[in-house]
Amino acid sequence: MKRSVAFAAGVALAMALALPGAFAQGLTTVKILDGQSTTDAGIEKLIDQAVAAKYPDIKLEWEIVGWGDAFQPKMQQYMQSGLPDIMIGKGQDVATYAGLGVLADLSGKPYLKNVLPAAVASGSYKGKPYGVVFNALYQGVYYNRKFFKDNNIAVPKTQAELQKVIDRCKSLGVTPFATHFKDLWSIGNITMQFAINDVFNKTPDWGDQLRAGKASYAGSPEMKASYGYNKLIYDNTWKDETFSLEQTACDARMVQGKAAMKVSGSWSIQNFLDVNPDFDFGIFPFPNQSGNAKLIYEPNITLMVSKTTKNMSAVDKVLSVITGDKTLDQKIYDLTKTASMVKGAGPTFKNPSQKDIDAYVAKNQLVDAGSGNNQLVWGGFQDENAKDIAAWLQGQETIDQALQAADARKASSKP
Amino acid sequence: MGRSSLGRGSALQYATLVLPGMLIFGIGVIVPMGLSLCYSFTSWNGFTHDLPRSGLANYGHILTDSHVRDAWWFTIRFAFWNTIVQNVFALLFAVALDGNLKGTKIYRTIFFMPCLVSSIVVGFIWLRMYSDVLPAISTTLGLGLNPRLFGSAGTVLSGFLIANNWQWIGYWMLIYLAALQSVPMELYEAARVDGASRARQFFRITIPMLAPAFTICIVGITIGSLKVYDLLVSSTGGGPGRASTSIIYLIYDTAISGRQYGYGSALSMTLILALLAIAVVQLSVLRRREIQL
Repeated sequence: MKRSVAFAAGVALAMALALPGAFAQGLTTVKILDGQSTTDAGIEKLIDQAVAAKYPDIKLEWEIVGWGDAFQPKMQQYMQSGLPDIMIGKGQDVATYAGLGVLADLSGKPYLKNVLPAAVASGSYKGKPYGVVFNALYQGVYYNRKFFKDNNIAVPKTQAELQKVIDRCKSLGVTPFATHFKDLWSIGNITMQFAINDVFNKTPDWGDQLRAGKASYAGSPEMKASYGYNKLIYDNTWKDETFSLEQTACDARMVQGKAAMKVSGSWSIQNFLDVNPDFDFGIFPFPNQSGNAKLIYEPNITLMVSKTTKNMSAVDKVLSVITGDKTLDQKIYDLTKTASMVKGAGPTFKNPSQKDIDAYVAKNQLVDAGSGNNQLVWGGFQDENAKDIAAWLQGQETIDQALQAADARKASSKP
Repeated sequence: MGRSSLGRGSALQYATLVLPGMLIFGIGVIVPMGLSLCYSFTSWNGFTHDLPRSGLANYGHILTDSHVRDAWWFTIRFAFWNTIVQNVFALLFAVALDGNLKGTKIYRTIFFMPCLVSSIVVGFIWLRMYSDVLPAISTTLGLGLNPRLFGSAGTVLSGFLIANNWQWIGYWMLIYLAALQSVPMELYEAARVDGASRARQFFRITIPMLAPAFTICIVGITIGSLKVYDLLVSSTGGGPGRASTSIIYLIYDTAISGRQYGYGSALSMTLILALLAIAVVQLSVLRRREIQL
């Protein structure tokens, strides 16, 4: 009796193990490593639904990590054991991983025609497309438009004008800048924003010159000024709280009128509109030394394919859905509150800063964040520099020590 | 003959029992340590297939790297104060709850509960406490205090000591409590007959009889504190700046985020040696003390 029960249980177990495999035959699993920004949470569900509707024989297996802290470690791990079929990172990752020879050359892929030429250009390395940029973020100073209007404050273009705005805010009892320096990436991001307009704008190959010994952080007045802007902001924010404050709380304060400006990127829009869908805000580039600062555009969600994928046909189908399904694309843009890089698809949400963006685009006052990020890598260089800046702001180092520390680690700066 | 056969049988039995553990320990600890040692002599970035040899350069760099010095300094201070505060308070609570207080079991449960929570969650809890809850209380009561301990390089260590002690005092308290309850009552009765005061009983009987518990708690707290990582990840991320970067955090940051796997491996080798040295010294001193007592 016992034997027959054991036999029956064994058969049942074997069937349970074997049957799903049998049913799974013909189903292709595409593995995706998704390095998400805070704005991207939830896009995987939308993509899953769209791919399942068009290609029921393709199953997407997602691994979602935070781009800032876990994408690079995951890539490092997978480069030893085999990359997933698709990696979703940022535009700057293309230079890093194509340079290491692990990304597939996407030349000739039909889905490249679905996106804007800039989306292909931003995903290219040494003239070949290794990534497809799906959306873009804009970076600069977000400001409370109603506050500016009510108090007759004009958008500043120079440092002197910015100082006047700061003084005016203070006289009105409003904190000039909203900041959340608890998030190290925020310090790194704004420093790169400053450097793009003050350093890379003037010397486009500054990163290469740094590594060649022709330029240095400590010897560059422009880079020192870029570091110095952090102090300007720190002196005009909620100093006692910024190193304890996270982005969500900071953005909420901005909407509540507790601060007038925030050096940030499109990732704040989601929070702004969540707190108050009617919040009226605009954007302008952080004024540089020469008064010709440009608004920064950053290629964000960037689709990359493993060079060694065994599922290239399925991968092509997935990428064609992501870039070609206009309904899906619009849903993603509305969810992430970001700008489109896909032809014929765009967000439908009300973005109060869009008219400012359009004005800068019309005047050709736009610069790609890749001009700096593609020369100075984030992990191990920009993030370490940000730590030095934080230590300087906290009085643990001098600005010169922070600049010298950046020079000392220049060997780690190459993407 | 029979004895020899029995010996072989026992040996086989022991080997069978020990082998799985040895295999797991070997694969999980010894092999990675060996690999780490090999990597420590390279300048590998963790990405490439080739492992450029760098000899002892990584070890030389450790001696001059101010970030390593700062990380060790934070870690040592964290371990030192944790060891003192946790032992003192755990012992005091254990003594208090060893008596006939009303609601002893409830107090024990309350003290023990925080150690059931993951350190990652503890980090989040105290981040919220320092950044939202305590400032709100301070404002409401008009205290004029700035309790944002994680927000300043000068106070971040204190913030972590409070968080870590809140989490672990209850755990070590149970160890002391168990040790206290194993002290024979006859010793106290004899002391009372001899006219010894409560304080004298405590220092002459209780403390000596707790020596094995002291060994466990001191070594456990020290080694645990030297390995602090998860508490930092979920709260300050090693900041502000590098003000709360522990040595383990620095190793991870260097090897993984910083793309210096070889250097990170060298750092981890020095940490292993330091932990071994500290454990050996502490154990030998405390065990000697146990024997003397």
